[in-house]
Amino acid sequence: MMNEKRSSVLKSVEKPGRYCGGEYGAVMKNKEAVKARFAFAFPDTYEIGMSNLGMRLLYGALNREPEIWCERVFAPWVDMQEKMRELDIPLWAHESGDPVSDFDILGITLGYEMCYTTALRLLLLSRIPLRAADRGDEHPIVIGGGACAYNPEPIADFFDCFSIGEGEDNLVEFTKLYIRMREEGRYTRAAFLREAAATIKGIYVPSLYEVSYHADGTIAAVTRKYEDVPERVEKCIIADMDKAFYPDQLVMPYIEAVHDRIMLEVYRGCIRGCRFCQAGMIYRPVREKSPELLNKQARCLYDNTGYEEISLMSLSISDYTKLEPLTRELLEWTDQNMVSLSLPSLRVDSFNKELMERIASVRTSSLTFAPEAGTQRLRDVINKNVTEEDLMRAANVAFSGGKTNVKLYFMNGLPTETAEDLEGIATLAKNVVHAYYQNPDRPKGRSPQVTISVSCFIPKPFTPFQWEAQDSIEQLAEKQAYLGSKVTDRKVRYTHHDAKVSRVEAVLARGNRKLCAALELAAKEGFCFDAWDEFFDYDRWMSVFERTGVDPAFFANRQFGLDEILPWDIIDCGVSKAFFKREREKAYAAATTPNCREKCAGCGANRLGGVRTPCPGCKGE
Amino acid sequence: MKNNDVKFTLPMLEAPRTMRILFRKVGNLQYISHLDLQRTFSRVLVRAGLPLWYTKGFNPHIKMVFGMPLSVGAESECEMLDVRIERDMSADEMLQRLNAELTDELRALAVYPAERKFSEIAFAAYDYSIRTAGADQAMADRVAALLDAPGLTVTRRSKSGEKEIDIKDYLYSASVSFEGGLIGIHAVLAAGEGKYLSPELLITALRQRMGILSGLPTEEHYRILRRRVLLADGKTLFR
Repeated sequence: MMNEKRSSVLKSVEKPGRYCGGEYGAVMKNKEAVKARFAFAFPDTYEIGMSNLGMRLLYGALNREPEIWCERVFAPWVDMQEKMRELDIPLWAHESGDPVSDFDILGITLGYEMCYTTALRLLLLSRIPLRAADRGDEHPIVIGGGACAYNPEPIADFFDCFSIGEGEDNLVEFTKLYIRMREEGRYTRAAFLREAAATIKGIYVPSLYEVSYHADGTIAAVTRKYEDVPERVEKCIIADMDKAFYPDQLVMPYIEAVHDRIMLEVYRGCIRGCRFCQAGMIYRPVREKSPELLNKQARCLYDNTGYEEISLMSLSISDYTKLEPLTRELLEWTDQNMVSLSLPSLRVDSFNKELMERIASVRTSSLTFAPEAGTQRLRDVINKNVTEEDLMRAANVAFSGGKTNVKLYFMNGLPTETAEDLEGIATLAKNVVHAYYQNPDRPKGRSPQVTISVSCFIPKPFTPFQWEAQDSIEQLAEKQAYLGSKVTDRKVRYTHHDAKVSRVEAVLARGNRKLCAALELAAKEGFCFDAWDEFFDYDRWMSVFERTGVDPAFFANRQFGLDEILPWDIIDCGVSKAFFKREREKAYAAATTPNCREKCAGCGANRLGGVRTPCPGCKGE
Repeated sequence: MKNNDVKFTLPMLEAPRTMRILFRKVGNLQYISHLDLQRTFSRVLVRAGLPLWYTKGFNPHIKMVFGMPLSVGAESECEMLDVRIERDMSADEMLQRLNAELTDELRALAVYPAERKFSEIAFAAYDYSIRTAGADQAMADRVAALLDAPGLTVTRRSKSGEKEIDIKDYLYSASVSFEGGLIGIHAVLAAGEGKYLSPELLITALRQRMGILSGLPTEEHYRILRRRVLLADGKTLFR
């Protein structure tokens, strides 16, 4: 709820619906009656934050606890930030309208590296000291989480701690420890962080570890300051996904969120093991939810939200072993209620007519597939395990089903890539166009549109390619232009990502604590919304790196040593380094690894436990 | 647990019936645009489990017709929305079901079969309350005199450039008061399909002619509340 002072400001900003709150489903509690107030911040706009499944889950999980009140915080758009400066208004939480600095805990979810500057802006707007070391007992505890927390080092100085892994239970335990220490009168910032690190799995407190460096800038050692904190912080997972918290009610945004629909999380992890893909590694082991429960949860959310679309979420939906029973159960009630199903992560090798018919109610004429590379050789290098035949068959199913648009995702700058691989992308697209005209069941009288969207390879922590050097900007630009020259078919549309963004992303993804100085300077110089093209300024980034003694090439374009201590070695994501090394060697031999269901590749994640999983030897709870 | 399939057990109507929902949109909800309100209602109607009638085309959707748009930044106690139902559900039950899915700031006040056409709306009555520096009875009197005198033109900026509008052409009646430090205006403005004045423009006129509300938005602000919708005689309530 807004106070009168702020409410009146809303008449002079763009899209005031971003700030007004008061949504149906928002959780209101009596702040005097709760024992801890948790501000859950998403470092981007309201529309993007409200589309985030993780935020929905954690908001619900924390608010299920009567003694905790979790509220949402988003990044105000630049015009609102201007007003806040002008009128001396600190950042507030969405539900109560109270200043974020009044909260006990501020959680910031870090889904992509380019949100770091916005995350720091949230601290500045909240008037919380940027550096954890400068905070006192009167300030909220600042905890980070999400995919980027797996390499927390570039932002280690700004966070009191990180929650590594799945937060549904972890954040509740963390907040309860905070409440207990407050009640027992033994809370100090330092004592709490130490006890959290020592007793709660998945909690990483950067200030409890010392990092030393070799003369060449690589890490010499990471030493814990106390014996009772873990040497490496193991991520936490929900072993049995059927027992994981899932909301029965959602906050319904008034203004349109980017993904404004029911997001039904079907399983966690991925059986595939594409060698560039961080998500496919850090969310292991694969743990499925049962179709009966999913159907019940979907029905309950539909009745309580009125959403007209249900999206089946996972890293690769067609790999769900119970997809057939699940969609059958869902269709029993979705059809008569005019609810449509969408399956956003289809693999070409499993896309078939039955699947297509089930999602036929989706009102779109386009389908998206991700072959990722242009030749079979390179697809084997990255372990994509799909063939051109698979793609052609999938495209034909789509065309026979009345689709005319196919979008294909590729990656540029992958390890071992050659001109032939680039040309292969153009050829593949051309062949899809050709397949359209060869297909007797194609929509009559319409022409196809094949879009190839090419992103730049970014070596990510916790992947077999974590050691690889990223191509230089010049190399990437040259490759993009070369591919452009090979796309001659007028039915093929070619788009590519900005290599400059990808380079900064690589620096932040593989950075160490020395990046903190650069990010601090960036924050102080007003960087914000770097995930938005209109605000990203490569030259300013280079200037910030230069002035803080950071060599971007050291992090982005250098081949990391296989025996080097990596900045993220402090984190244990469950998958072993030995596995990544094996996979890397196989990549260079263009040898594929079967998926987890065909044969266990011994990645090590099964020791974390898991129920309804293909992993051998998993201990359920 | 709630299950909205109950609606399928109700008897089918011979023809879809148009029901009118009278609702208020106040407080924070004043910042929600018309388009966003449409999307919001499309979900509210579904989760309320109303037996909605869907269009029969390739892309079935529900029919919603709003009375008249309300500009962002204005509140209202008299918004109207027509929906079509295909099964027999009582107006009372509809009202109850709707309010279970709404917040206080967006609340259904009544549900009834739609009789009059929205095109019969001619006027709307608004209450303004203005907090501005130096507000007193004398200022209220000056506002009253301004609204009383012939000719009150304002410059309206729009995408197609600047335009002069005489508010008096759209002002049916007005009375001004001063109470509790606030200047209050009760005004009846044209609100028909062919002749409509955005209530915000009256504020624009006062700003341009009297220089009020020029301070910080945290110090000086105003509220516009649409109270009633009226027929062409300027008196009879439209419902």
